[in-house]
Amino acid sequence: MKIGVRVMPRKEVLDSQGRAVERTLRAHGKNLSHCRVGKYIELEIDEKDRQKALAKATEMCEFALHNPLIETYELEVL
Amino acid sequence: MEIEQKLKHYRLSRSEYDQIVQQLGRPPEGVEWALYSALWSEHCSYKSSRIHLKKIFNKSSRVVAGFGENAGVIDLGLGERVAFKIESHNHPSFIEPYEGAATGVGGILRDIFTMGARPIALANYLCFGEVKAPRMTSLLDGVVRGIGGYGNCVGVPTITGQTEFHTSYNKNILVNALAVGYFAPEEPVLRARAEGVGNLVVYVGAKTGKDGVHGASMASESFDEKNEKKKPTIQKGDPFYEKLLIESCIEVMKKKLVVAIQDMGAAGLTSSSFEMAAQGKVGFCLNLDKIPLRDSSMTPEEILLSESQERMLMVVRPENLIKLKAVFAHWGLDAEAIGEVTAGPEVELFWHGENICKIDPRFLVDEAPRYDKPYTKWQDKNRVTSFKPYEYGIKAKSQKLLELLRDPKFVSRNWIYDQYDQRVGAKTVFDCTESVGAQRLPSGKILGLVLGGRPYVMRFDAYVGAIDCIAYPALELAAKGFLPLAATDCLNFGSPDNPEIMSEFVATIEGMSAQCEALHVPIISGNVSFYNETLGENITSTPATGLVGLKDHFEATPRSYFQNKNDEIYLLRLPLLKFQGMFAEVEKLSQEGSGYLDVKKVASFADLTRHLALVKGVSASRVVGKIGLAYALARMTTAELGVEIDKVINDGVFIENLYEVLFTVNSDSALQFRELFNKLSQNNEIDMKIIGHVREGIFKIKNEIDLPLSEIHSAYNTNWEVLFAGLS
Amino acid sequence: MNKTVGVIRFLGTNCDQDVFSAIKQAGLSPEWVCHQDQFDKSQYMALFLPGGFSHGDYLRCGALAARAPVMKSVVEASRHGTPILGICNGFQILCEANLLPGVLVRNNSLRFRDGWVGLQRVQQSPQFGSDKLIYAKLPIAHGEGRYYIEDDQVKKLFDDEQVWCVYERNPNGSVENIAGVMNENKNVAGLMPHPERAVADFMGGSDGLSFFTSLL
Repeated sequence: MKIGVRVMPRKEVLDSQGRAVERTLRAHGKNLSHCRVGKYIELEIDEKDRQKALAKATEMCEFALHNPLIETYELEVL
Repeated sequence: MEIEQKLKHYRLSRSEYDQIVQQLGRPPEGVEWALYSALWSEHCSYKSSRIHLKKIFNKSSRVVAGFGENAGVIDLGLGERVAFKIESHNHPSFIEPYEGAATGVGGILRDIFTMGARPIALANYLCFGEVKAPRMTSLLDGVVRGIGGYGNCVGVPTITGQTEFHTSYNKNILVNALAVGYFAPEEPVLRARAEGVGNLVVYVGAKTGKDGVHGASMASESFDEKNEKKKPTIQKGDPFYEKLLIESCIEVMKKKLVVAIQDMGAAGLTSSSFEMAAQGKVGFCLNLDKIPLRDSSMTPEEILLSESQERMLMVVRPENLIKLKAVFAHWGLDAEAIGEVTAGPEVELFWHGENICKIDPRFLVDEAPRYDKPYTKWQDKNRVTSFKPYEYGIKAKSQKLLELLRDPKFVSRNWIYDQYDQRVGAKTVFDCTESVGAQRLPSGKILGLVLGGRPYVMRFDAYVGAIDCIAYPALELAAKGFLPLAATDCLNFGSPDNPEIMSEFVATIEGMSAQCEALHVPIISGNVSFYNETLGENITSTPATGLVGLKDHFEATPRSYFQNKNDEIYLLRLPLLKFQGMFAEVEKLSQEGSGYLDVKKVASFADLTRHLALVKGVSASRVVGKIGLAYALARMTTAELGVEIDKVINDGVFIENLYEVLFTVNSDSALQFRELFNKLSQNNEIDMKIIGHVREGIFKIKNEIDLPLSEIHSAYNTNWEVLFAGLS
Repeated sequence: MNKTVGVIRFLGTNCDQDVFSAIKQAGLSPEWVCHQDQFDKSQYMALFLPGGFSHGDYLRCGALAARAPVMKSVVEASRHGTPILGICNGFQILCEANLLPGVLVRNNSLRFRDGWVGLQRVQQSPQFGSDKLIYAKLPIAHGEGRYYIEDDQVKKLFDDEQVWCVYERNPNGSVENIAGVMNENKNVAGLMPHPERAVADFMGGSDGLSFFTSLL
């Protein structure tokens, strides 16, 4: 089963990349109110059961894929 | 496919085809086309330059390895040696600046550590177009990030650099990277020469993908609009992987588990395997299906031409394979035996058991075409018997200086250097803020490194520019007390099919070589990059050089900035050729100059300069360069220390005299300094005089410039951010 | 006295030789520790995690190295009270391993930054740096050196005397100019600047030497 992990900077943490992208877009006349830059990770897990696969993905996120101090994550089954 | 179509696809000429048919006794078949295409490309075969490269001065008792090896190696005494080489990555960097520059750094590092040397320093020679040219700021940003991204991560410090701007690079930037590697006493120098029938051919490093297929032949043709479509084949580097490869390769070499080793660079597996076999006069039998692939759909032809990064080919004794694999496994890397050394002479390629090619490597390597393309003998350019210098009042000249200091062509490059790790390895003595980079070797000796090649001098007169691309950096080394030892060169030129370009190319080799011989500085490695033209527009013919020098210890090495107030300022001169090259370009005046360079006089001037620089109490030095004396002095200022020049400068401050060197000397040592000059200076063409003093807060040159120091300092140091404001 | 100091090498560590030499220069006996090794908690008188780009800084700087097998032993040694110093990437790894508070994120400028900085000591470390050293000039070289910790914890960090040193002029946007911190027990410390690159005059200064000699 394929699981997608969306890792985003926590809202209260300064997202320097997002800020830079936002500034550049604005400088080019693009209209936007806010921009944040995160990352997307695809996991292929050898597991047919949806819940079990999600549980394994959660464990991986907690183990290494995100840093709770600065990031949050969301999972989706692909 | 029709023959004509095939020739076009594989970028071979009709006469080359005829030569192939004659070699083989039949037309080429299957993957042979791809092999010939790659190995007979200009990039791999040097077919238009080889007959001239043979004339380059390359002799010295210090040379351990020279041309034909991955990098030149030179002996420093006491068992210490260094390997070094400069190489171009111009075309890939114009297509994708970050990856192009990054893989340029990766490639030159592999050339160094395949010799068995641990990389200890990097330098970069960059030429960009005008800041306002399309894409130019983002090209610059990408190149700088790419160099930093790769060099910083592998942990090799960048200790010097040169960056030029000129319209001729608007559509064809230059990215030349230089690396230096160190051999401790007793550490072996490895070769790319395969030997030992029955030895295994082992593939090490990253898996093979479709990156850069046909890259070598692409670098051998000019840019056109269609090249944009070649984007998907760019190579992507991984500096983390390279770091693991450096550590593991150095370990297996130190443990003497390797017979021969070659980096898979341009034309990948093809060039590395055929060149190793040809050099060792042996054959290979290779199973292409054993090559670790990133993309299982790849054909044998694609595998042969892939330019995936961070891969090595080694020849290993069968009994050492297990030990070798264990070392690589420790670093998390795979090593795969893909074939063996045979008596030959042919290299045989197999694909799932089927013999798909059997060909003598000498046909492809040693017997590649050699061309003597048309050129004419060099004639002096832009010479007049006398010319008028820029004549304005102090106010106008002062404002002009400030204007120039803010110009991208002259403004401080610290914005670039701050993005490079200049101190990893803990050997850096002089970083990029000095006119020469320097590192302390384990023996305590100091190795100096400097780049050369001034495009505006090439535009004035290519023969003068060629002498200058050795003479100027040699003087920069000498001004810090270094004895120049050896050089490397990267010859960036337009199309060799253009006789004007070819004439400049030949003149460049002759000029460089003459100066090298006079200085006893052999050129021990290098690279030729032709076809630097886009839509018929050629770049300035640009030889980029790198020189290394040596001095016994670090103590009393002059800095490039003023050190103490009231130090005396001396100007040492050998005025052979007077011109206003770069100033004339900026001011749109006609290029004019008078005089000629004499390589022997320059060499003895360099020797005198070096002896003076070794006097204790010489606090700072700088060779006067582009736009003359005022700029050189401005670059020596600090936030506190400026100058007061009370001697009249005869030709004005924007004329360049080849050659002049500035020294600042502590007044306690001044007598000794002058006496040494009187003793050593046998040549009455050389003169030296005190022209002024280091002073706080002012920048005054009699009859020329009068400015508060703060204005000089802020113009030179802070304008980069304004020019490239869009980047941050 | 046990003078053996462990220098931990992760895949991609690149300041290892420099730290090794500085320890030797200080009169101690450095020993390599591999990322896969395990060791006894009392084996080393001190441990160093040198800088570099462990695992290419992929995912997040220090994140993958913080999960290497050797870190189990490092955690045990830290509980045992062994002095541990993480420099640059080593600091990032210690934060990712939760041995130090906070985290290091990309510089404000989004660019790598090399140069010399002035460093002021806020709180003396019992192990690293002599008591006389209240100001030091050291080199930095990092792309992800901006120290971050939640607002409400910054004050606590100062109150608990865990802020070790601050930059004279902030080069990267760190909270409160923080350049180095310690754990609650003060035996584990992290520092963004590189003391091992300032241990001799030819390097441009020798303020860094006491970060090693103070262990004696």
